[in-house]
Amino acid sequence: MATATKERGALTHPDVHHLTDVNRDILKILSRPGKGWWALFLLACAGVGLFFGMWGWQIYKGIGVSGLSAPVGWGTYITTFVFWVGIAHSGTLISAILFLFRAPWRQSVYRLAEAMTVFAVMTAGLFPLIHVGRVWHAYWLIPYPNARFLWPNFKSPLVWDVFAVTTYFTVSATFFFLGCIPDIAAARDQATGLRKKFYSLIAMGWRGSDAQWHHFGKAYIFLAALATPLVLSVHSVVSWDFAMSIVPGWHATIFAPYFVAGAIFSGVGMVITLAVPMRKIFGLEAYLTIKHFDALAKLCLLTSLIVLYAYLSEFFMAWYSGEEIERTAFWNRLFGTYWWATWTMLVCNGLVPILLWFKRVRHSIAALFVISIFINIGMWFERYVIVVTSLSHEYEPWAWGIYRPSFVEMSMVAGSFGWFAFWFLLFTRLLPPVAIAELKEVLPPPLRRQRKEAH
Amino acid sequence: MSDGIKRRDFLKVLGASGAGAALTGCSPQKVERLIPYVVAPEDITPGVATWYTTVCDGCAAQCGMWVRTREGRAVKVEGNPNHPVSGGALCGKGHATLQHLYNPDRYAGPTIRENGTLRPTTWEEAEALLAQRIQGAAGNVLFIAGAMGPSMSGLADAFLGAVGGRRVQYDALSDAPLREAMLRAFGTDALPRYDLAATRFLVSFGDDFLESGPSPVEYHRGFARMSAVDEHGTKGRFVYAGARLSLTGQNADEWIPIRPGSEAALALGMASVLAAGGRTAGPWASLLSTHDVAAAAQATGIGEDAIRDLAERFVSEGPSLALGPGVGVHHRSATAAHLAVLVLNHVAGNVGRTLHLQGGPLGATGSYADMEGAIAAMSGGQAGVVLVHGANPAYSLPAGSRFAEAFGSVGFKVSFASAPDETSALADLILPDRHFLESWGDSSPKPGVVALRQPVMQAVPHFDAKQTGDVLLSVASRLGHALGGATFYEYLRGAHQTMHGTDEAAFEAAWREALRKGVSEHPVEAFPAARDILPPAAAPAFDVPALDGDGDFILMVYPSSRFGAGEFSNSPWMLELPDPVSKIAWHSWVEVNPAAAEARGIRQGDIVTVSSPHGSVEVPVWLYPGIREDVVAVAMGGGHTDFGRWGTGKGANAMTLLPAVAEEPSGAFVTLATRVTLAPTGRRQRLVTTEGSDSQHDRPIAPAVAIAALGHDSGAGHGEGAHGPLKELQGVGGFVPVDAGGGKPEAFPLEGSRYGQYARHEEKARWAMAIDLDKCTGCSACVTACQSENNIPWVGEDQVLMGRELHWMRIERYYEHVDATHASHVDVRFLPMMCQHCGNAPCEPVCPVYATYHTPEGVNAQIYNRCVGTRYCANNCPYKVRVYNWYRFSDMNVPEPMNWQFNPDVTVRTNGIMEKCSMCMQRIRDAENRSVLEGRGKVPGDGDIVTACQQSCPAGAIVFGNLRDPDSHVSHVVRSERTYRVLDDLINTQPGVSYLKKVTFHEVAPGGHE
Amino acid sequence: MSAPAHALLASYEYLDSAVDAIEGLRKAGFKSLKAYAPYPEHHIEAALGYGQSPVRVFTLVGGLTGAATGFAFTIWTSMDWPLVVGGKPHVSIPAFIPIAFEMTVLFGALSTIIGLFILSRLPALKPPVIYDPEFTNGRYGVHVDAPAERVEEARKILSAHEPVDLQESTEAAHA
Repeated sequence: MATATKERGALTHPDVHHLTDVNRDILKILSRPGKGWWALFLLACAGVGLFFGMWGWQIYKGIGVSGLSAPVGWGTYITTFVFWVGIAHSGTLISAILFLFRAPWRQSVYRLAEAMTVFAVMTAGLFPLIHVGRVWHAYWLIPYPNARFLWPNFKSPLVWDVFAVTTYFTVSATFFFLGCIPDIAAARDQATGLRKKFYSLIAMGWRGSDAQWHHFGKAYIFLAALATPLVLSVHSVVSWDFAMSIVPGWHATIFAPYFVAGAIFSGVGMVITLAVPMRKIFGLEAYLTIKHFDALAKLCLLTSLIVLYAYLSEFFMAWYSGEEIERTAFWNRLFGTYWWATWTMLVCNGLVPILLWFKRVRHSIAALFVISIFINIGMWFERYVIVVTSLSHEYEPWAWGIYRPSFVEMSMVAGSFGWFAFWFLLFTRLLPPVAIAELKEVLPPPLRRQRKEAH
Repeated sequence: MSDGIKRRDFLKVLGASGAGAALTGCSPQKVERLIPYVVAPEDITPGVATWYTTVCDGCAAQCGMWVRTREGRAVKVEGNPNHPVSGGALCGKGHATLQHLYNPDRYAGPTIRENGTLRPTTWEEAEALLAQRIQGAAGNVLFIAGAMGPSMSGLADAFLGAVGGRRVQYDALSDAPLREAMLRAFGTDALPRYDLAATRFLVSFGDDFLESGPSPVEYHRGFARMSAVDEHGTKGRFVYAGARLSLTGQNADEWIPIRPGSEAALALGMASVLAAGGRTAGPWASLLSTHDVAAAAQATGIGEDAIRDLAERFVSEGPSLALGPGVGVHHRSATAAHLAVLVLNHVAGNVGRTLHLQGGPLGATGSYADMEGAIAAMSGGQAGVVLVHGANPAYSLPAGSRFAEAFGSVGFKVSFASAPDETSALADLILPDRHFLESWGDSSPKPGVVALRQPVMQAVPHFDAKQTGDVLLSVASRLGHALGGATFYEYLRGAHQTMHGTDEAAFEAAWREALRKGVSEHPVEAFPAARDILPPAAAPAFDVPALDGDGDFILMVYPSSRFGAGEFSNSPWMLELPDPVSKIAWHSWVEVNPAAAEARGIRQGDIVTVSSPHGSVEVPVWLYPGIREDVVAVAMGGGHTDFGRWGTGKGANAMTLLPAVAEEPSGAFVTLATRVTLAPTGRRQRLVTTEGSDSQHDRPIAPAVAIAALGHDSGAGHGEGAHGPLKELQGVGGFVPVDAGGGKPEAFPLEGSRYGQYARHEEKARWAMAIDLDKCTGCSACVTACQSENNIPWVGEDQVLMGRELHWMRIERYYEHVDATHASHVDVRFLPMMCQHCGNAPCEPVCPVYATYHTPEGVNAQIYNRCVGTRYCANNCPYKVRVYNWYRFSDMNVPEPMNWQFNPDVTVRTNGIMEKCSMCMQRIRDAENRSVLEGRGKVPGDGDIVTACQQSCPAGAIVFGNLRDPDSHVSHVVRSERTYRVLDDLINTQPGVSYLKKVTFHEVAPGGHE
Repeated sequence: MSAPAHALLASYEYLDSAVDAIEGLRKAGFKSLKAYAPYPEHHIEAALGYGQSPVRVFTLVGGLTGAATGFAFTIWTSMDWPLVVGGKPHVSIPAFIPIAFEMTVLFGALSTIIGLFILSRLPALKPPVIYDPEFTNGRYGVHVDAPAERVEEARKILSAHEPVDLQESTEAAHA
């Protein structure tokens, strides 16, 4: 038995020898933050300020401060909503699906991926509210017994969206916190003073007893089993916001799988973007090894190929359908007013990831970081292209129009990154950013016999 | 409990609006006091509209009006069906007169200018001052006045006779050349009456009778009856001979792009062909021999064959009618051109058949020649006191006329303008006149027709205005002259009493009847129907007139169909209404032919300096294929310098490019007089246009059908188009075929909307609309009517630029064939587009909160207070007819007292919600209630409901009614073989609005396109 | 038996010593055992002879409830006030599937968590009588409640595998 476990651990963490190393290396991250962290945190706070400042201004003046107009009633806000929802996907994917498949490399990345998921959903969830004209009535989308017995219209994809996103947030937040509990207990047992009180409270009395571990394991498996289809469903539902309409360029059966692949693609990209600096700042080289990045890069490559295939089949189908209106929509997408957005999308999501075929690239942290940035940009533009170009050229030629994002919109996009970073930075300081217990699971357990043999 | 509070609030509101009516002449503060009716004013039933008849004062046409008032406020104007001119319709400008009534820029009261600054004063002081100055003027009073009713002009003349002075009538847009030509051709000093309805072949030599001209609405109605296909599948043909396609030209079947000024040559050339063909030219025969086809071809730049062909069809396809050049083409020999056209009509035998010497519109009788005299008198110091009423020459005359200097040199200048304008800005004393909806008056739009003008509401209390007639009478009495009556009302009654003899009772009855009916017709002495033409006098120059300067473009300055000569430039409705031709709102533009522009490297939106020998303006370029390559055109009405908050500084004033020339011999102001050069300034701007694309891209939006194809059904637009049988996906059962319109119109819901869950037909109607595109001329009166009825605020220039206009209706204008290089057919499609009230409405299922749903009577309803503003419905609307409140436009843009115009029956929408055409739901409900109260059943009868757009349409293109009643008018119309529903073939939306295809003389492809 | 129980807790540095200790105690017939580990260690679970966890039941019931609720709610609300939209049937089952699905997942997940908390007696904010913080770091622990007369025997078995530390308490953790 010992040898088996030894192999397991040796596979990914050659430089971590003893169980206590893990606590030492991970829990030290929770100690006093340095200057760099504070700098980033202040920057994030500034972003949050900008974000809510602009939102307040928009609520005060009216949605007209955005660049939205007829015929483009959806623009940057919805683009950014889909972008963040997409980001949110890799987290649960890595933790749940890879857990079910027993992927040996997930342990050290899944915690930050899950955190990213939770915060990304928190960011995404704001944008539909920002987008609606009367946010003070947005709660009408939630089914609650009211004086008129008027319920939401469950035929509307937007209501599906409300259910999907809220469910996704609840489940992934639960999943995330559940995984944290044993590690919080670990932090509790080493912390002192106020922190100890805090951790004791949220560890909820976890001691790592056999019974706890037993049920914990089972519950974790079932949650993973539930979260997996949920991941796929959520972005499918988001895609149906578009696919269920009759807008040329939206009304396509390919949308659900296409969006899911894109979501995973962008999510994994964002994981790399976050993991690289964390590895450097917190000295996690021993835990986030090249092998991990190599695996993430391969996942990126796969999903980018799927996404590229989806792009091409969309254009092919538009041509093959012979439907003039469909053709015009896609011709306009490539060569119309918004050609630059479309080509940015194609280059960032289709061309750049091709580099990942090369092992040397996959094994260069710097290169991966740069590519991941490209992916983030490309995926934002993918949603922009889908939302804006399709709406700008619909059935009625007389009603064709052009949309120009306003300053307010763009600063709220920027601010949303601040909002996301705000939570993520807090997370790195308050919760163990790498899964302690699960790492120990894959380390060789300490055995008396070996020591005897050694002597 | 809560109920009680609601009721109390309701009473307060009632009191407020009632007070507005009850307290006249009081200050606005008092009006705002919340008091319930103690003694209810007569004629006012809270919540019930009261209608009054009066006469529109928007232009010389003097259409009869119905004014709808609620709680003492005028909220809507409509055409008076009893009136021979309007016949129930109204143009956009007519609707906009309401905004002049509530114009917040109106003068608050009489003001005196003392060393440069205006000082408010009392009427007492003002009139005393005026009387004293007139006394000092020693009989040198000059009264510059626009068109006035018979009684008012009678009073003015009596006044001037008493105090010593003369009246000069000034009309910025004059019909003098036609009048002069009539005098020279037939010896009658009146405009002819065109019987368009009886015409089968109409040729317009640049007469834009649909938009400007003496009586647009009347001619609109006639034109619709002439040009729309009838039950026999025949229709009249309309040929437009002019340098630029105006709205009138865009409605033509053929366009002969002649060189400007060559109308006379063309007309005479045609006449000479007819004469050669054996028709008698009488005394003109010899002249016609010299002005032959060759000369015409040479002058017009059109091939001889084309002219010959046109001339031959002019008689063979008759009864025909030729119309002389309109105001936009008043060049230095406009009278000659009109004379030539009359000769053509005479030779073709139209006089007495389609052209009647009697019963024509009054028209604008003033001429610029008289004005020149007045200017000379003023600068010559022969005018002690100058009174200006209903005219704004300081704006509408070019600098060359030296009006401003002459006017400024006068000792005492009085303006009766009710709102600031360029002329009142120069006046020493301003005595604001009342709006015509607040005052008494009369009009005689044509011989034998007299209509009374009555105040429909108490004067708007914000403005202490006084009717000019009353002012003249009181000033006269101060000077010891009795002109008959202390008030203009008495004077008016007196004037009319003389018409009825002495029987007091009979007169009282006639008076009341005239007020009730809105018009009274009197016999006029008989008149020989046809009259032989007079011989050519000292032959006027029929050749192409001279033009100033040597620029490479000829400048056309034409009256705007929205602003006239600029009187309506301060009406937000008119400013926001896209011009029917260019579809540009708010600002001015210069029309340039794309080929000519390309040759000079000028692009759409380039701001160019248009300079003539007389002045220059900077305007953006709009590329227009409907104008000759050697011509550019600018509309009148822009570039006001002092005309209120909306009109001032908008666009450019094209008049400044023109010389101050009076046409010989009529004396009309010459609008086509000079050449100009275009010099790019290097600056550009995005045009404030509502046009997304001027081409249909072969989509089934506005197809047409060739007249030859009528009778044998083309099939296109019915059920399955070029896309195979329609199918729809059902929840269970997969795809099933649907009938997308083949079914009988009354068989609603059609199979495609099987889940429509309509009530039983005796319970509920299926409200539907049918629009005949063969009648629609794109005049856009319906757009303003809708805006006025449904409390649609304007959004402003910057918002229209972003595509945020709130109009529930838009008129789409697609070019199919427009060729300025040679004579050929022209095909421009107009499509009034509003909510199609689809049976399978794509907007409904996507709304998360049921803010839009399908009512049992088939209307696609929008519930404002339920909307949260996701804008999903607008995305999913294939017709893009849903408009969104991006700001609180009603609060931001509509100042007091303009909000008095709001229709109490329609919600004023707030920020962040979607809205759209409701098929005038308030009128539907009103008719339903009346029907039930009068025991006629739950479903109103056919014709009980008239939507605002339908009511206003001069062409009668819009029909509304119950589609489930097989005998209703709309059902009959929809049965036409020309019926189609926009995009229905493609996406099975089952619209409740049906269109009837335009009928063309030329062939159209199966898809309905060129 | 009448004599009060006696709690012993041994901390081991090595996995196999903990496992051996547990097996020793079970052979000796000690019933109320409890083990601590820094991570889920199936060797210990095996030594304690665990079977299936009943958490699965919670998950199943929750999921089914969710699905039922989803369909019932959407169907009832569309019948409660039938409004025609887009010419579609009031009850459009295909359109309700996404709702039902999300409800399934939501209810399933939440009931799983509830199940976990009930079964593993969380939250338990009162710390156990004897505990070694190193259990969440690198050590394994074996806890046994021995009746007074067998305390000596239990102590012997525990110490036989070189515990780093051995704590005792006169009150049992779970009697």
